Amino acid sequence: MAINVGYFVKESFVSFKRNWVISLGAIITIYLSLLLVGVSLGSGILLDQVVQSVEDKVSIRIFLKDGAPAEEVDALQQQLLTNDMVDTVVYTSKEQALEDFKESMVQDSPEIIDQLEGNPLPASLDVELKDPRNVQAVVDSIKASETFTAVADRPDDPEKSLKYGQQIVNQLFTVTRIIRTLSIVFVIMLAVISLIFINNAIRLAIYARRKEIAIMRLVGASNWFIRTPFLMEGVIQSLIGALLAIGTLSLVYFYVLPSLSEMLAFLPISLSTADALQVSLALVAAGIVMGLVGAMLALRRYLKV
Amino acid sequence: MISMRNVSKIYVPNKPPALDGCNVEIEQGEFVFLVGPSGSGKSTFIRLLLRELLTTRGQIVVAGQDLVKMKNWKVPYLRRNIGCVFQDFKLLPNKTTYENIAFALEVIGRSKHVIRTQVPEVLRLVGLDEKMESYPDELSGGEQQRVSIARAFVNRPPLLLADEPTGNLDPATSLGIMSLLNRINKTGTTVLVATHDREMVDSMRKRVIALEGGKVVRDQDRGVYGYGD
Repeated sequence: MAINVGYFVKESFVSFKRNWVISLGAIITIYLSLLLVGVSLGSGILLDQVVQSVEDKVSIRIFLKDGAPAEEVDALQQQLLTNDMVDTVVYTSKEQALEDFKESMVQDSPEIIDQLEGNPLPASLDVELKDPRNVQAVVDSIKASETFTAVADRPDDPEKSLKYGQQIVNQLFTVTRIIRTLSIVFVIMLAVISLIFINNAIRLAIYARRKEIAIMRLVGASNWFIRTPFLMEGVIQSLIGALLAIGTLSLVYFYVLPSLSEMLAFLPISLSTADALQVSLALVAAGIVMGLVGAMLALRRYLKV
Repeated sequence: MISMRNVSKIYVPNKPPALDGCNVEIEQGEFVFLVGPSGSGKSTFIRLLLRELLTTRGQIVVAGQDLVKMKNWKVPYLRRNIGCVFQDFKLLPNKTTYENIAFALEVIGRSKHVIRTQVPEVLRLVGLDEKMESYPDELSGGEQQRVSIARAFVNRPPLLLADEPTGNLDPATSLGIMSLLNRINKTGTTVLVATHDREMVDSMRKRVIALEGGKVVRDQDRGVYGYGD
């Protein structure tokens, strides 16, 4: 059988024109919910990048006491390297530490360097981890090690001989988890509202065409033939909503994001084109799904064929 | 063409059934009147044949298809074999005569070419080829019913059902409609007319099936309306 696509498109637009206020309501709610979906997806990617950059900076620094025997330091280094969670261990001597300190101060406050008497800085081991989330486990294993106690700067208080960014990482994870949960809740709520609006728009469209539908049934139009224009109407509405959302997000992407990343130069705020395209595709797909589901719900309830 | 065996239809349990144990056989090419007072089950009879309703008991076969066993998705294809005419015409007010009939072909997926040739042809058959571009409210009741019959017949179905086709029309116009249905019957189409129109039934001298309280009380060839004698 020849499928008359033109017929369906025509019918969808006629119906759209007939109750455009309701359709507009559906489009706006879909627009808003997809906008929020887009914002959460985009900011989720950005958050990941921020967390990543902070995680990259998380390492454990072990301060060594002055005059710690080189072989014991070596032993500790070897012992750390046998740990699966550890990536690299780098030794920094007292002299190197002083050099680094001077270098970092020479620009801002060179007077501090002059006031230094001797070398108050301890030597240290910098431990980089494969996965920053394991930082606590590695710290615990270091504390338990006797070799560590032997060479630690403050054997009486091992906590003070170690420096690591556990707190920052944990807080960041908590914050991102809260943000994700909240955005998921909002997106679900808005999706439900959009479904209700699409449902309503399609119900009115069915009502407006009830005579045609009765005649279609009478003369033997197949069920999908009767349903398709309504499904298409739902999809068209949500596609328009999706395109509007993508349009708004593009404005943010091209105009707001660059100035934001300039303002917050210390954070890596940038979204690759591939990421942006992926978000857009996700929005279009979500729109199509919402339109179809909303229309199908309405058809199931209001169009018995 | 139509075979009903022991058909009953009960809308509300514990109330009298709308149809009660009906047995009817209608052969291909017959012209049959279905008569009876209001509430005797005529409309239920028609709606069962269209499978708008399912039987409570019994078996119905229409055009070789068992309506009881029929899957829902097949119903549209059954209806393509059944033309249907109603008392209230059921025309779309925002479409012209031509468009109303074309619509019926369009929605069952007929090609534009088929529509362009068949619609004028069927309009000539019902005598409305001059009114192709008129809207329903510009037509008389009789003309509207002709459009409705044209729409029912454009697909050349083997069976035509008419539920009170002359209920809204004056006697002269009714006569025209009946002779049109008669002409359609002469092409080999089985025609079943549910009606109150005593004069029509008496003058046509066709087979008459009389319903009363959901039961077939009379079935005679070349019969008359028969009530109130």
